[in-house]
Amino acid sequence: MSGASGTTGSAARERIGVDVRQVSLPAGHPVAKLSLAAAVAGAVALAVAWALGGPRFYSSYLTAYLFFLTLALGGLVFVLLQFVTRAGWSVAVRRLAEHVMGTLPLFLVLFVPVIIGMGDLFPWAVGEGGGEHEALVGSKALWLQPGSWILRSAVYLVLWSVLGWWFRRQSIGQDRHPDPGVTRRLQIASAPGLVVFGVTVTLASFDWVMSLDPHWYSTIFGVYVFAGAVVGILALVVVLSVALERRRGPLAGIVTPEHYHDLGKLLFGFVVFWAYIAFSQFMLIWYGNLPEETVWYRQRFEHGWYPVSVAVAVGCFVVPFFFLLGRDVKRNRLTLTAAAVWLLVFHYVDVYWLVMPSALSVDPGGGFHPHWLDLLTLVAVGGLFAGAVGRLMAGPALVPVADPRLPESLSFENM
Amino acid sequence: MSVSEAPRVARAGVIPDVDPVEDRPLLVTGDPGFHGVTEAVARPVEWQPPLGWYVVLAISVSMLGLFGVSIGWLLWEGVGVWGNNVPVAWGWPIVNFVFWVGIGHAGTLISAVLFLFRQRWRTSINRAAEAMTLFAVMCALVFPGIHTGRPWVDYWMFPVPNQMSVWPQFRSPLMWDVFAVSIYGLVSLIFWYLGLVPDLATMRDRSKTRVRQVVYGLFALGWRGSARHWLHYERAYLLLAGLATPLVLSVHSVVSFDFAVAQLPGWHTTIFPPYFVAGAIFSGMAMVVTLMVICRVVFKLEHIITMLHFERMARLILAMGSIVGLAYGTEFFVAWFSGNQFEWFTFLNRSGGPYAWAYWIMISCNVLSPQVFWFKKARTSIPVLFAVSIFVNIGMWFERFVIVVTSLHRDFLPSSWSYFTPTFWDLATLIGSFGLFFTMFTLFVRFVPMVAMSELKGVLPQAHGGHHD
Amino acid sequence: MTDARGAAAPTPAPSAWDGGRTPVWGALAEFTTPDGLLAAAAAVREAGFERFDAHSPFPVHGIERAMRLKRSPVPWFVLVLGLGGAAAGMLLQWWVSTHAYPLVISGKPFFSWPAFVPIMFECGVLGGALGAVFGFLSMARLPRHHHPLFGSTRFERVGDDAFFLSIEAADPRFDRQRTPAMLADLGARHVELVDMPAPEASRKEPEGGAA
Repeated sequence: MSGASGTTGSAARERIGVDVRQVSLPAGHPVAKLSLAAAVAGAVALAVAWALGGPRFYSSYLTAYLFFLTLALGGLVFVLLQFVTRAGWSVAVRRLAEHVMGTLPLFLVLFVPVIIGMGDLFPWAVGEGGGEHEALVGSKALWLQPGSWILRSAVYLVLWSVLGWWFRRQSIGQDRHPDPGVTRRLQIASAPGLVVFGVTVTLASFDWVMSLDPHWYSTIFGVYVFAGAVVGILALVVVLSVALERRRGPLAGIVTPEHYHDLGKLLFGFVVFWAYIAFSQFMLIWYGNLPEETVWYRQRFEHGWYPVSVAVAVGCFVVPFFFLLGRDVKRNRLTLTAAAVWLLVFHYVDVYWLVMPSALSVDPGGGFHPHWLDLLTLVAVGGLFAGAVGRLMAGPALVPVADPRLPESLSFENM
Repeated sequence: MSVSEAPRVARAGVIPDVDPVEDRPLLVTGDPGFHGVTEAVARPVEWQPPLGWYVVLAISVSMLGLFGVSIGWLLWEGVGVWGNNVPVAWGWPIVNFVFWVGIGHAGTLISAVLFLFRQRWRTSINRAAEAMTLFAVMCALVFPGIHTGRPWVDYWMFPVPNQMSVWPQFRSPLMWDVFAVSIYGLVSLIFWYLGLVPDLATMRDRSKTRVRQVVYGLFALGWRGSARHWLHYERAYLLLAGLATPLVLSVHSVVSFDFAVAQLPGWHTTIFPPYFVAGAIFSGMAMVVTLMVICRVVFKLEHIITMLHFERMARLILAMGSIVGLAYGTEFFVAWFSGNQFEWFTFLNRSGGPYAWAYWIMISCNVLSPQVFWFKKARTSIPVLFAVSIFVNIGMWFERFVIVVTSLHRDFLPSSWSYFTPTFWDLATLIGSFGLFFTMFTLFVRFVPMVAMSELKGVLPQAHGGHHD
Repeated sequence: MTDARGAAAPTPAPSAWDGGRTPVWGALAEFTTPDGLLAAAAAVREAGFERFDAHSPFPVHGIERAMRLKRSPVPWFVLVLGLGGAAAGMLLQWWVSTHAYPLVISGKPFFSWPAFVPIMFECGVLGGALGAVFGFLSMARLPRHHHPLFGSTRFERVGDDAFFLSIEAADPRFDRQRTPAMLADLGARHVELVDMPAPEASRKEPEGGAA
């Protein structure tokens, strides 16, 4: 399938009446079996890691959990943003993000080990009352105590799951019963959806990541997590689109170099945005030089963590910035996928860098010590996540065939 | 299992001119065609302006006169004519500075960011919005210029070799401001001017007098609309838009650093950069709405600046206002969460102390008033749009006032606490700055086409053509 | 579409189109729609002309491809000057803070690179912006306030609603009779020959409004 935009026009005109069957994974496609295998592998890995891991398991697990959760949340915010902006270009790839966000209910279940391991993760979760707890938590004891924390966490996860599930279901329903009213409804709902998203993601990042060091605080933290999530989902959508489009896949002729270009531009933009947020946080804390704030960065510059910090800066920003600068790089499947995979890897390193230095300091011997548990938990959560995504992708169309903006998505052109 | 009949589009396989979901025109109404656009936009610049224009100019020039008098008096007497004094050593001047810089950001957003997102509706308002940016930056730059106490040595801020062997201290955020805001002004000017060149050529070719022809012709650089011109022009324009976008983010972030790098409670908080940027776009959009409501009526451009444009701007105002509201909430929450007694006191003081009146004006104008834009009726009502845009700008001025004054008037040591009151000259200088802004804008709409004609024509249905093979 | 390719004969004879001995700069054809211009430009390129140009009130989508114009090198100007600007900004701050005028400010190191990033970034953007402008002006060869095309009255509508195709007489395939005829066949509403401006008439004469 040539990527020449000259073919786009005529292909689009033929495909305006896109057939659901053409853009679904055919029955008997290996994806169903692969998903099951991935899920089984994930479950087995999880069991092994949990059984053998000891307290270290929970830190590794939280990292892996958050990495994949930010991808699912990224899917949710991507879909919400496309609807609220009434975007046309993204319709061809939006369903992929919808499948990713469809995994959010899974994360409700996967949160259980985090609750069980609370005492090994959060300093404020050990020992109710008593001098130690007071000294650590002080005025926020009502907030950072297991009961209210678990309740809030459940609320966040339920809200995200409901949002994700509802949007996806509406979108898929439109395939069978084409009705522009569905799009209108989703457009209207996306705005309050974004408000809910903003508040819950901010609070969740405070509750789950920032409270690993209950003395430290940074008002920009929620924005930082959001920025990483958007980079993550854009990279994942690139990988999924390319996988399904290349070699005459189901999305051939639908996803074009124009879409790759746009995804690449957004990826570049959000890499820069992430760097802006990361640098703002760092520079302001460095400049003010207040010990209660700088301690967080001190932990990430000492005991072997410094090279990881440098890797985060170089891998999440410097390299992708220069790599994605050129126009042609963003239009070529190979180079764009390379950038996407790179960014997914470094998004994981970023989450690792956020969680582990603080989580490990609960353990004696804090310091940068990568562990087989890190990899095993990654496989565990990743396998279950991949299994879920695969399962969700197997049924419905891979493109919202009846979306009124689909023709625009199939035929727009970049400069 | 096939699908609905092809949704409504103007031409199959092309960007639709009618929104396929909401079923209404996406750009201009009445189908003026290319010539109609030229006539509608160029005519106000060529004919005698309506009486209202003279009235507005007169009012603006008198406010500008007040500005001149205030600055003159300031230079003569010194900074003591203002209310600035320890502990509130930064008073209205910096509030006004941040206020004006913020307003400028919406112009760049409309020009550059909406361009990158291929939002064709921006073409009706981007010229006026960019001009607004330039004039807002001009107003902003006056304040750091005059507030230094010895403005005749302001040049010391620039890294120029001098006989004292003294150099600027680059670690200061005020130095970052010098670079950021001046570069922002310069790049905005470049971007605005580049966009103007084809339209100046249009004006040149239409001019009936030799003077107009020479002046427009000079600045039109000999533009001929050649395909080669357009090729390089489009690339340059795209790259400028790509540069202006991070510039917008960085400039107001640098302005926020003025406060955030300090250790003052209420100032030293990491969310300031994106929060300030969102606030800037918020206030700037409101100012664009204010100006466009007036201009489209006076210059009979209702078919070019349509309700669609206002609706989109209203939604952007709502979105940015919500982000600002989220930031307020986050700050307040973390002030409590941090357990830092000074930080928590600052927020209790803001909402319940001597300046609570200012705080609640800010909340009602910034968080509450834009909420009406959830309703389509409000988004499409000119009086509501105008009223909310005014409230938002009032609220945003108060936001900077609350940030600056409440953190300074009661910081760590209660023995230093005080209550700041502005003086008459503080107010006169602020009103005068509006005089500068409105004078420049009034002159702009008289002599420069206020809609980007070439860009607008380029996105009309007649411009699409059938095939792009 | 005609066969006539407007190919030049060795010595073109004076024709009815030529008003006399005035040297001609080229032929100018006016079209009413962007599609018309696009098709004509493609046809002219196919016919082997190289010194020709299309003129429009806004960029016509696809015309660079039809005319087979090379990609614009303006991005390189932006990249080089942008990176250069950023480097210069960082260099300036480094040199001033570590050599020319080192000051101890709140215990921060002389080379406080986090504090130098904002200005470095701004200088980079300035460099890039200047690169865009400089690149555009040099590539478009502007400003150029005098051009033979400004002598044509109809050309005044190029900023309004008319689309033009111009072929220079300097092109080897240009012919005083056949080239205008070819242009007329391509659907031009109006074709004219544009004179080379006389040396003493170097000022642009005011044409006094549209004809």
